[in-house]
Amino acid sequence: MREFVEECRREWRRLGVPDPIANEMAADLTADLEEAEAEGGSPEDVLGNSAFDPRRFAASWATARGVTGPPSPDRRPLWRPSVAAVLTVILGALVVLAGLAVLVRSGSSSIAVATRRIVAGPGAIRLFGPGPGRIVIPGPLGRPIIGMQIAGHGHAFSLLLLLVAVVGILCLGLAALYWSPWFGPRRLRRHQGPRTPGWN
Amino acid sequence: MANTEGRRSQLLRGVLDLCLLAVMEDGPAYGYEMTKRLRGRGLSIVGEGSIYPLLGRLERDGLVETHRAVSNGGPPRKYYSLSSAGEHALEAGVSEWQATRDAVDGALGLVKAEVRP
Repeated sequence: MREFVEECRREWRRLGVPDPIANEMAADLTADLEEAEAEGGSPEDVLGNSAFDPRRFAASWATARGVTGPPSPDRRPLWRPSVAAVLTVILGALVVLAGLAVLVRSGSSSIAVATRRIVAGPGAIRLFGPGPGRIVIPGPLGRPIIGMQIAGHGHAFSLLLLLVAVVGILCLGLAALYWSPWFGPRRLRRHQGPRTPGWN
Repeated sequence: MANTEGRRSQLLRGVLDLCLLAVMEDGPAYGYEMTKRLRGRGLSIVGEGSIYPLLGRLERDGLVETHRAVSNGGPPRKYYSLSSAGEHALEAGVSEWQATRDAVDGALGLVKAEVRP
């Protein structure tokens, strides 16, 4: 019972119901639930099937009373988009730094990436094979599809940085999708109407 | 049967506010007290929605008046009572319900069944 009322309070807070009104509603609800319990009843005797959905019940009650806060298109805190933008910039900077660090650390000015499928066999050109300082992504039958080789020494550190760079690039790609106007949750939210709780 | 339950729920939705106004005629009552009065008249809301949002709407529409008072030594409760606008709404609602019920009864053929010996 206490948990139900607390859940209602959280929902009212989220909806911007003024504290005095929320306290009044919570007190009335608590008193009714306690009375039903003292008589051997259950929360369902007081709330019907709303006893199983406190958030919807709370929203429905507050809306019916007309005590919700001013409408907001999105109640997420305003700082979130800003933080996401800053994190994206930091991530991009990390990717660039990781790439530069790989080049400097490896003592080489290039990173070789095989972009074609490599067919192993007599006379075939084998760009890379498994070995220290090499990343080989195996394809069907154990044949490599993509191979990367970092020249020079300090391989472990270089490999780590390279992995950071690859992950960073993937994250940047996802971030770009998120911020693009044609895709992502912001677009989906725009198409969703406001949730209007019904009677219950 | 799920369909029967669904229909009962739909029918109640249209008249539960009227039922609440009707039980307030017996005197001011707080939320759970009204639920008990409804039950006493044979209308259980178990399985239906809660009455609180409806009471909130009635209050917002000015059909009920509220005051806080201590109940039987318990905590202060919010009591609802009919306003004059609520009395008019109840009167109009009852006429509407009776007319609707008669029409539906006629459509369902129940009127003939009732007058049959």
